[in-house]
Amino acid sequence: MPYHEFECSKVIPERKEHAVDKEPGEDLTSCLPKGYLNTIPGSISERGCAYCGAKHVIGTPMKDVLHVSHGPVGCTYDTWQTKRYISDADNFQLKYTFATDVKEKHIVFGAEKMLKENIHQAFDAFPEIKRMTIYQTCATALIGDDIGAIADEVMEERPDVDIFVCNSPGFAGPSQSGGHHKINIAWVNQKVGTFEPEITSDYVINYVGEYNIQGDQEVMQDFFRRMGIQVLSTFTGNGTYDELRGMHRAHLNVLECARSAEYICNELRVRYGIPRLDIDGFGFEALGNSLRKIGLFFGIEDRAQAIIDEETAKWKPQLDWYKERLQGKRVCLWPGGSKLWHWAHAIEAEMGVKVVSLYTKFGHQGDMEKGIARCSEGTLAIDDPNELESLEAMELLKPHVIFTGKRPGEVAKKVGVPYLNAHAYHNGPYKGFEGWVRFARDIYNAIYSPIHQLSELDISKDEIPGNHGFVTRRMLSDADLSDEIRNAPHLSEYDGKFDCLAALKDKTYPEFPRRVAAAE
Amino acid sequence: MDDLTQDRIGQLIDYIMKNCLWQFHSRAWDRTRQNENIVGMTTKILCGEPVEAETPFDKCYWVDAVCLADAYRARHPWLTEMNADGIKTLMTGLLERLEYLTVTGSLNAELTDQHY
Repeated sequence: MPYHEFECSKVIPERKEHAVDKEPGEDLTSCLPKGYLNTIPGSISERGCAYCGAKHVIGTPMKDVLHVSHGPVGCTYDTWQTKRYISDADNFQLKYTFATDVKEKHIVFGAEKMLKENIHQAFDAFPEIKRMTIYQTCATALIGDDIGAIADEVMEERPDVDIFVCNSPGFAGPSQSGGHHKINIAWVNQKVGTFEPEITSDYVINYVGEYNIQGDQEVMQDFFRRMGIQVLSTFTGNGTYDELRGMHRAHLNVLECARSAEYICNELRVRYGIPRLDIDGFGFEALGNSLRKIGLFFGIEDRAQAIIDEETAKWKPQLDWYKERLQGKRVCLWPGGSKLWHWAHAIEAEMGVKVVSLYTKFGHQGDMEKGIARCSEGTLAIDDPNELESLEAMELLKPHVIFTGKRPGEVAKKVGVPYLNAHAYHNGPYKGFEGWVRFARDIYNAIYSPIHQLSELDISKDEIPGNHGFVTRRMLSDADLSDEIRNAPHLSEYDGKFDCLAALKDKTYPEFPRRVAAAE
Repeated sequence: MDDLTQDRIGQLIDYIMKNCLWQFHSRAWDRTRQNENIVGMTTKILCGEPVEAETPFDKCYWVDAVCLADAYRARHPWLTEMNADGIKTLMTGLLERLEYLTVTGSLNAELTDQHY
């Protein structure tokens, strides 16, 4: 096994099996780090907890819900607004978060009474909201508060409300991934099948594992609507509580993030006979294939092809403008879970960059299998890295940019490496054809920002150049390009709008006659 | 297996590994089911034989098979020059290799974890 031993982690020998170099000739049977294990004591992990995974990744993107944490206020406050999963409900779920603010006396005497009061107060404060999720935390799990019983009491007293209880305290798994699993199973056990949705199309899907980061879901939903497909529910970005109770009526589960949501797809397959189709919303080729597959499934592949042709013609020249300027740039692809495999091959093939390292904070070995399969030789793959390992990797690999979360991202900036936010994005959405160009634009801007030339100067010892003016990105990026490429008339910079979602809000979609209606 | 066949299987596997997700379901039995169905249907499509996809589950295998066959034809012109027997032999080798990489030789400890 081509393990990679970090100098900084020699004092934690178990860490050696969590990093590998994909060398020539290696494949998945000889090159795979350990994964999804408890973090090794002494290694300061960048992971989140199982409560965070359940609430802040999967639960909270639901847009018409009061999201309540039953625990110390810090559990909610410290994780509030860390994501950019927007919604078309005026971002209610981002603006408001609720916690029962458990204190020492509640640990001693119990917090159920206080929880019930909090639930009523929240519903009273927002009388137009009739749905609630309640999340268990470590403290209230350890004292044995029965949230389900309290929720049942409230639903009896307030018949117009519905409450979902998620029992995923922080310690319920090695990382946030444990929480993903728990909330998937809890939702299908408690809520799926308890609401009958209106079916308006012959082609009905659940869009699963999509969290509407900066509008990704709205972009994909636009494609589906143009194809005449009804998105019955989205699990869970921009999704509504009742739509998600009606998941059992879909004809197909379209799965985007298999890391966080394959569990519910597998359960829906077994319990309701709904098949699962894995797709990729990132990258022209992957997205085109995904739309085409969904089209083929329903026998409407011509509608998918029309979208692919139109979008590719419009956006490919702009993508290629950036590709010419990003050739060979070294990238550390250090996201949380699924993006290491969503992006590993697509950014190399379509943007010309070279992935020199990939890591995952909470991914399982299955995610590493996908990532290592998709990256090229010479890539360093790391499971659950600590901060020192990240620093050592950056020193070794000298990346031009890293894609990661904001905590490790800020560390990178301090050593002069620009970063893009892989979780919440910089200027997303990144899904869709236009979104992929926006991602390329963000990479370009990060790598060629003139600020790096200035920020890397140490005014205490470096000579500050005063004999030339400020340079622009374009001057830096085009310096080594041939005239043919620099002046290519068919290539152009991104010319989309700052808010590319605005046009979708009032958009009208073609009406396709239903087969069922025709038969009647 | 001769070098040419081995090289061609390597090219076909490389496409699956870099562009597909269906071979990486979470359990060993699940992966085998995916591999056998999708590679089996792809073989039939490449050989010009009819494929039955009556159930929704079969349709899911079929759509992945159609896309895979199209990608193979577009990227590997030598496929169109092979006869049906040659394609079947090649695809049998591909399935064996894929099963080895994703199931029997996989280092993923979760594939057979009863508590996963």
